[in-house]
Parts: sequence; structure tokens; C-alpha cells
Amino acid sequence: MIDINATLIAQMLNFLILVVLLRAVAYKPIVKMLKEREDNIANNLKQAEDDKAEAKKALEQYQAQLADARVQAQEIMDKAEKRARDEKAAKLQETNQEIAQMKEAAQQEIQREQARAVEKLKGDMVTLSLAAAQKIVSKNIDVAENEALISEFIDQLDKNKIGDLPC
Amino acid sequence: MHEIGVRETVQFAGLTFNWETLVMTWITMAIVLLIAFLASRNLKLVPTGTQNVVEMLIVWLREQVANNLGARGDFLSPLVITLFLFLVISNWLGLVPQMASPTNDLNTTLGLALLMVLIVHVLGLYMKGMHYVKHFFQPVPLFVVINAIEEVAKPITLSFRLFGNIMAGEILIIILLKLVPIWMPIPSVIWLAFSIFIGGVQAFIFTSLSLAYLANAVKEDEEE
Repeated sequence: MIDINATLIAQMLNFLILVVLLRAVAYKPIVKMLKEREDNIANNLKQAEDDKAEAKKALEQYQAQLADARVQAQEIMDKAEKRARDEKAAKLQETNQEIAQMKEAAQQEIQREQARAVEKLKGDMVTLSLAAAQKIVSKNIDVAENEALISEFIDQLDKNKIGDLPC
Repeated sequence: MHEIGVRETVQFAGLTFNWETLVMTWITMAIVLLIAFLASRNLKLVPTGTQNVVEMLIVWLREQVANNLGARGDFLSPLVITLFLFLVISNWLGLVPQMASPTNDLNTTLGLALLMVLIVHVLGLYMKGMHYVKHFFQPVPLFVVINAIEEVAKPITLSFRLFGNIMAGEILIIILLKLVPIWMPIPSVIWLAFSIFIGGVQAFIFTSLSLAYLANAVKEDEEE
């Protein structure tokens, strides 16, 4: 049962051959693949880390931009409001001016009308006075004397008064 | 069913060979290579099926190597992995009817053990030089006797342990089949299952003891 012979040497050789073959067929490719996988995982982890950092940076950027935009919008709104207020004030002033002008024009018109009315009244008064005087006196003195009398009467009238009426 | 302990021998170039052992060894080698080929034929980064199993085995054994031998021992990983695969398949081959384990021949186990011890001493001398020789004479020169006995005992214990376990297992299978009537297969089945377990355990023991011996030669000494 226990007989040592040349099989011992043959088995050593067989085993060494198997070692060499296995190393070439399986061990090397599998170890290479394991290393590749390790690298791959490490790379992916690093990539994920980088992506995360980048995303965070981008988010911060967006937030900063958003805040900036909000400030700008506020500024634009403020400006627009100010302009509207200024415009409104300017318009108001213009309108006021116009009103004042119109008022002045109307006043002048009234004065002009008044003056014309006074002139017309004066003319009418002469005729009326003449007629009245003719009827009262009934005696026709002298045309020249009449004229002088009436002129004196009219001159006695106040410039701004017709009889007792204010004008 | 072959006669226990009687071996068919062939003569070649004036040398005697156990024919059955050689044939079974070649069958074992073919199976190991086939498994390795199937596992590594279509390698993917995301493993499936056979690749998963063989990968697990390789990763596990490389871990053992790294733990025992340190970073310097990585080049021995193929040797250790091959040793384990070869022994497991050898031990289990004998459980198949009409087959025999190559490891039921002392020539195989002693050959492997001597090969391991030889590698240990050569590597020790190569990697550590005189330092390796000196450690046989420590702590006092008288210890060289004990150390010498230990070195001789290493391959003997290694080979006889494996040989005895596998031989006994196969003998018991034959005996159980002869003793127990064919309608009562339970003892044989239980013994077969146990033999599968023994085959794995013995392969692992042989491998890890070889690793321990290798560590002695390869690993850097921490204290010096």
C-alpha cells in the first residue's frame, strides 16, 4: 500500500505543469479583471464625488444669480415707479399752468367785453338822454347848446360807474 | 471495484509508475483546467455564474496569502490557489464510482509536501540569505537538533495526514458497500456526504499549513 516509486517525481512535475497552466489560463486574466474592477469602482466613486461638488457649485452659482436678479428687478421697479411719479408731477404742473393761462385769457376777455359794453352804453346813453331831454324841455334851444349840456353830463359820470350801478 | 492496496504498475525508462494514480491525476488536472477555462473564458466586470464562484475562491485564497505572507508573497498566489483546487478535485474524484483519488497514493501527497518544503527552503535562502540559515540555530545553537527534526516532520505529517484521510475514506466506502445490503443505502450516503466534507477540509488544511511554512520563509521579520 505504501510503496514510494517514480510516481512521486511524476506527481511533482504534474503539479508544477498544472501551476504554470492555471496561472496562464485563469489566474492572470482573473486578477487583471479584479484590478480593473477595483479601478473602475474607485474611478466611479471619484467621479461621483466630483459631480457632487460640481453640482453644489452650480447650485450656489444659480442661487447667487437669482439673488442678483431679484435685486436688479427691485431696482428696475423702483426706477419705473420714480419715473412715473416724476411724470405725474410734471403733467400736473403743466395742467396747472394751462389752467392758469386759460384763466388769465378768460379774465382778459371779460375785461375786453366789459370795456366794449361800457363804450356801447355810453353811446346809447347819449341818444337816450337826448330823447329824454327833448321830451322834458319840449322847447328846442339850440343844437350846439344841447350838445354841450349833454357832454358835460356824461363827463360827470364816473368811469366805472353808470349812474349808481357798479360795473 | 479494485483490490485495496494493490496497485497496477507500469515500467517506463527503467522506472516504476503507478498507472492508476497517474491517470487520475491527469483527469484531475483536466477538470481543474476545464473549470478555470470556463470561469475565465468570458470575463466580465460584473460577474455571473461560474465566474462568481471561481472569483470568490481566488479572492479568498489571495486574502489568505496576503495575510500569511504579506505583500512580498503575492507571486505565490497561483501556487497556493492551484494547490487548493488540485487537492479538492483530487479528494472528490475518489467519491465518483470507478474513480480513485490521486491523493490516495502516498506518492502524490509526499510529492506535493516535499515540493512545498523544497520551495520553502529555496525561497527562504533566496529571500533572506544567511539570516534564514541562522534562524535554525536560535535561540541557542543546540536547538538545531529540534529544528532539524521539525523540518523533517513537516513533509511527513503533511503528506500522511492527507493520504490517511483520503485512503481511509475510500476504503470505508468499499467496505460499507460490501457490508450493508443494497436496499439500505443510508450509511453509504452519509459516509459519502462526510467524505465530501473531509475532502474539502483536508485540502484546506494542506493548503493553509503550506502557507504557514511559506510564511516562515517569505515574510519579513518584524522584530529585527
